Amino acid sequence: MLFSGIVFLFRFLPVFMLIYLLVPERFRNLVLLLGSLVFYGAGEPYYVLLLIFSILVNYGLGRLILNDKSIKNKKAVLCLALFWDFGQLFVFKYWDFAAENINKLISGGFIPGQAAAEGPLPVWSLTLPLGISFYTFQTVSFIIDCYRGKIKAAPSLTEFAVYISMFPQLIAGPIVKYDEVADRLRARRITAGAAENGLKLFSIGLGFKVLLANQIGTLWNTIMTAGAGNLSVTVAWLGAFAYSLQIYFDFWGYSLMAVGLGEMLGFRLPKNFYNPYAAKSVSEFWRRWHITLGRWFKEYLYIPLGGNRKGFWRTALNLLIVWTLTGLWHGADWNFALWGLSFFVIISIEKSGIGKWLEKSRVIGHLYVIAIIPVTWIIFAVNNIDRLILYLQNMFGIHMTGAIVGNEHFIRYIKEYWVLFIFCFLFSTPYPMRFYRAYKNKWYIILIIAAVFWFSVYEIMIGSNNPFLYFRF
Amino acid sequence: MKRFKNILRKCPYIVVLLITWLFMTIGGVALIFYRDYYSFEWDSFFSEPFFAAVMEDEIDGMAHGESEKPRIAKAVMANLGSVSYAGSESGSVNSGKTAADTEISENTSNNKITDVTEESLKNNEITSVIPDIVPKKIRYRLNFIRRFAAAKSSWEGMMTEPAEAADEGEGKPGQTLFTEYEPVETDSIYYSDAGKVALTTDYPYVTVGEDYFDDAVFFGDSRTLGISDYSGLNADFFCENGMTIYKLLDEKGVVYRKTGEKADLNRVLQEKKYGKIYIMLGMNELGYGNTAQYLEQYSKVLAQLRLWQPDSIIYVMSNLHVSRSKDDPTTEFNNININDKNAASATLANGTDVIYLDINPLFTDNDGYLKDELTFDGVHLYADGYMKWKEFLMEHGVVR
Repeated sequence: MLFSGIVFLFRFLPVFMLIYLLVPERFRNLVLLLGSLVFYGAGEPYYVLLLIFSILVNYGLGRLILNDKSIKNKKAVLCLALFWDFGQLFVFKYWDFAAENINKLISGGFIPGQAAAEGPLPVWSLTLPLGISFYTFQTVSFIIDCYRGKIKAAPSLTEFAVYISMFPQLIAGPIVKYDEVADRLRARRITAGAAENGLKLFSIGLGFKVLLANQIGTLWNTIMTAGAGNLSVTVAWLGAFAYSLQIYFDFWGYSLMAVGLGEMLGFRLPKNFYNPYAAKSVSEFWRRWHITLGRWFKEYLYIPLGGNRKGFWRTALNLLIVWTLTGLWHGADWNFALWGLSFFVIISIEKSGIGKWLEKSRVIGHLYVIAIIPVTWIIFAVNNIDRLILYLQNMFGIHMTGAIVGNEHFIRYIKEYWVLFIFCFLFSTPYPMRFYRAYKNKWYIILIIAAVFWFSVYEIMIGSNNPFLYFRF
Repeated sequence: MKRFKNILRKCPYIVVLLITWLFMTIGGVALIFYRDYYSFEWDSFFSEPFFAAVMEDEIDGMAHGESEKPRIAKAVMANLGSVSYAGSESGSVNSGKTAADTEISENTSNNKITDVTEESLKNNEITSVIPDIVPKKIRYRLNFIRRFAAAKSSWEGMMTEPAEAADEGEGKPGQTLFTEYEPVETDSIYYSDAGKVALTTDYPYVTVGEDYFDDAVFFGDSRTLGISDYSGLNADFFCENGMTIYKLLDEKGVVYRKTGEKADLNRVLQEKKYGKIYIMLGMNELGYGNTAQYLEQYSKVLAQLRLWQPDSIIYVMSNLHVSRSKDDPTTEFNNININDKNAASATLANGTDVIYLDINPLFTDNDGYLKDELTFDGVHLYADGYMKWKEFLMEHGVVR
């Protein structure tokens, strides 16, 4: 089920909320768990079993760690749990990628001009279970927190299952840490004010997704349909901006919907975005973009590896590992690895001191981020290496072929999309949300949000182009 | 009352949403009763709430009698395909007939199935047995249902027999040639496997320059839009996303690219003379009516074009196949269906002034799939593909 689908908005959510509010408080976790399994099972009727099994395994191992006094045993159980979690992630997400490349390596497919022969490893072509990257990271954080002693009292099975599978954050985050929601899992009050606020946030997120991301995505789609190799410099950059805005409003919209739903249910989910495009350096961008993922990699990988405390070369190596894996987390393909590596390079350079200088600057930092982030998004978006090279060449004016899609088209696209670009630009600044927080109870804000909600519903009803970009990660 | 006030004070937004939802649902139910009740389906209720009717109103442009021609509600369309022009016995269409043989006046087309003629529906004149007491709108709807049922039964009859039989008159000069292959079993109300691929009409073509297209006009869907956008040809383009052969000649049926506004071809084609007419439609018809109906409508359109433009050369272009990843035999969106449509429309060529051009060999692999390196979405060519297409068209000039 999609948050931006009619079935969720007008069937699942009202029915679920009604039951959720009517049952006595002690049954709320159970209702939320069952509702979440229905939500997940509607999209993944088989993989819901995998989810349940994974919850049981992690709960059992987590309790073992908590109850065991010996460090040695704890370590063994920890390894077992990590093996299970990353193992299932690897099998479903990375096996094919690994197998194909190992096959290629063995048969010499990487040598130019030599045809690849059949390799020894089978390619399984499994469908990726929805949200597996997100919930795996959550179970891992729970297990490690148990090991580190951050979690003192073991949750009940229902509480743990709700923590992992709660439908607002199950499919595409935010990646919640257990101690952030532990209190609310045990007992929570649902107030009219929170429900009101939550629904408002949800509607704003829906508007971002449907009215901004989907619409600007049409331009990106048009440009990609015309072909990466045929673009003039102007059109290539226009496309890069369009995609940057699409992925931002798509994912930020989703995260807002998640936070809003969480609030309606009585939870406080962590913020995932904090005006990333208003950052003044790429390091700062990553402190504001997909915050819960960056936090996860920092706490559970970068710091344990030694962070920046073990000298220059070790820091560089740690950064390299973290960014490569961040890239690959987004997808099993070379362009994602390349995308992660590009951040490694940029952020390493920024660490030399340029970053600090940029963050203090008034204008240059903004211009720098606005110029460099779209380039990284192109690496992210175009997952065919040949076409990616063509696109980047065209962005920097190195034309291998003539630009069929030139300035004439650029002007036409601008004429068609300038209003949308202005709106997207406006909502990329912190001001609209600041305004919203200051005046959110005024009647005109309420009417505007209601209008946004129904306009979004209308767009959903008439349009078919409504995918979530961050779903298959 | 006090309690309600309290709720309203604490969560006005939720109340606003609930009230608008309630009102729209009432509106939707009213609309369904008013005009759509015959096609309302409980099956789709889960994914399409009542208020969908209020919004679909806008989609189909049929609110308040805006549209003069009957259109079908979305739900029905999905189930049955198209009946936009299904007034005649489509099952017995003689696909061998050429444009010149086709009856031009819609008045005389065989409307044996129902007593409601195409023409009368167009003019909203109700000529049926339903008494006048019934309000006009509802009578109109009831007629529609009857016509519909008839069309449905004619399809069901057709599902058993192949959609077309174009073998008659074989060997005549100018007749389209086919290469045959072993057809596969299909189970669809929309198409069957034609078992043959139509070849470009045999003709002494000459290679021409771009000025050849100065008096040319193109009709088509999103692919033709690509030619218009990227080939740089100076022709008139009437095309838009989702265009179908059924909509083409509607009043305000199709967008004129130069102005960006809907044009009425009835007027345009009577005012301006074109030397060449290029037409490529069929993709959006894949799940909208069956091949026989497509062919029938195609021949009607060609006949109408011929009437308006007696001296022009008409090029019927084949629909481009889709890529392997887009080809889906479990739906109607696949190359067998596309080929079925192409083989049908190819029979309308006569080798003198109606020419069939098969553009697929330019862009497809040995299995007939659109090559992956030529397309982003598996359906549309990259911009440079249209240059190749243009060259192909330039190699197929007809100079008399």
